Amino acid sequence: MRIRRGSPVAVRARGLPQPDRAAFEADALASLDSLYRTARRLTRSVADAEDLVQETYLKALRAADQFEPGTNLRAWLFTILHNSARNRARDRSREAVTADSDAMERALEQPADLHARPATPEALLMRDTLAPDLQAAIDDLPPQFREAVWLRDVEEFSYAEIADMLAIPVGTVMSRISRGRSQLFERLTAAQPSVAAGRSVAGVGEKK
Amino acid sequence: MTEDYEVCHAILPIVTPYVDGELPAADRVRVDEHVRVCGPCRSRVTAERSVRELIQARKSALLEERASANLRERCAGAVSSSRAATPIAPSRWPVWRARLAPLALAATLILLISGAFLYQLTDRSSRVMAAELTADHLKCFAVNDVLGTHDAPTTVQASMTSHFGWMLQLPQNPQRAGLELVGARPCLYGEGRVAHLMYRHHGVPVSVFMLPASVRPQEVLEVMGHEAAIWSVGQRTFVLIAREPRQDVEQLASFVQASLR
Repeated sequence: MRIRRGSPVAVRARGLPQPDRAAFEADALASLDSLYRTARRLTRSVADAEDLVQETYLKALRAADQFEPGTNLRAWLFTILHNSARNRARDRSREAVTADSDAMERALEQPADLHARPATPEALLMRDTLAPDLQAAIDDLPPQFREAVWLRDVEEFSYAEIADMLAIPVGTVMSRISRGRSQLFERLTAAQPSVAAGRSVAGVGEKK
Repeated sequence: MTEDYEVCHAILPIVTPYVDGELPAADRVRVDEHVRVCGPCRSRVTAERSVRELIQARKSALLEERASANLRERCAGAVSSSRAATPIAPSRWPVWRARLAPLALAATLILLISGAFLYQLTDRSSRVMAAELTADHLKCFAVNDVLGTHDAPTTVQASMTSHFGWMLQLPQNPQRAGLELVGARPCLYGEGRVAHLMYRHHGVPVSVFMLPASVRPQEVLEVMGHEAAIWSVGQRTFVLIAREPRQDVEQLASFVQASLR
């Protein structure tokens, strides 16, 4: 959450005027479903997701005075959601999270195996994938890839907005989206029996 | 296989914006040309594009998952309880965050400036009071989760005596009720006049607030997805808050009521 400390907005004693405040609250609640769906991707259970969303609203309303009217309220709420989820995860297991993100960053460093996959008709077959399978495959992704793909392809944020939200460079955002999509492709095509059989014949079926 | 492996590596980082149609024209042409002659890069583009298109095609189904009515109520409750607190004091959220680190080093009881509410001890309805205390319950546990503070009963008792002149005797064997003491803090909602004892009940956060010089009817209220049990002893009002079934909250409340004076 970026706050301009000492700006007129931050030090104003009475916060937003009432009409602005009411509009702010209505606008904030308009993002509820979106925030909840994203929270579901960031947590393991409905209860955790609901707690996370409620915490997001409490924080947002407490910090309403730091929100600069005219800027992107939806992105601001998602930033609070992301930070809250990260704090919770860190608290749950500081070391596990560190190890996880280290592994993730190492994975990002490694150049992709560019020539591993021959062109196939898998792409067309994959389009038969139904929503529940797609949802399950997304939820199966490593957390950082899952979040990036979800924010981009489902919530339709721009790279710059996502970079801002996650406090990472735009290049990292793009490579997480790219990795996420590639892994989704691998998993979804591997899940299709006809495709998997074809791949074994082609000699790449042993790839996980 | 392509002859120009270097081009493949140059293209790799821009496959995603290429697929998303976010590349400047000049770069797009460059990728177009390369993909035409390079099978591996073409399948990479195909893979990303088909995932993106698949998600677009299934989007309406992915968006079917919605917040429950209960969650909507809890969040709207957060909104209305913040509106009830007029005039709205400036939020101290960033200041509060900045204070966490040095306080963690002190590793003792933590004083927080919330500034969000100037809590009127006598004039507010029990429901508004319960909503404000629930917000405090959530916030204090969020902080405690970060700091991981655990206070000994003697520390808590000494602090309550010095802050509130409250010579309390904490429940002797809280584990009998499945409770584990986390800590205590004077909540600045009542200008420091509200005491806050934090427990965990089989891991679930439970708060017991003590409001001096206040008497309220005994009741259990549902606020923001939590149950709040309210009772008074002498001139003190106690509020126990947890996100647990009403029956459990009532049981905890009667345990605390019997053992805490």
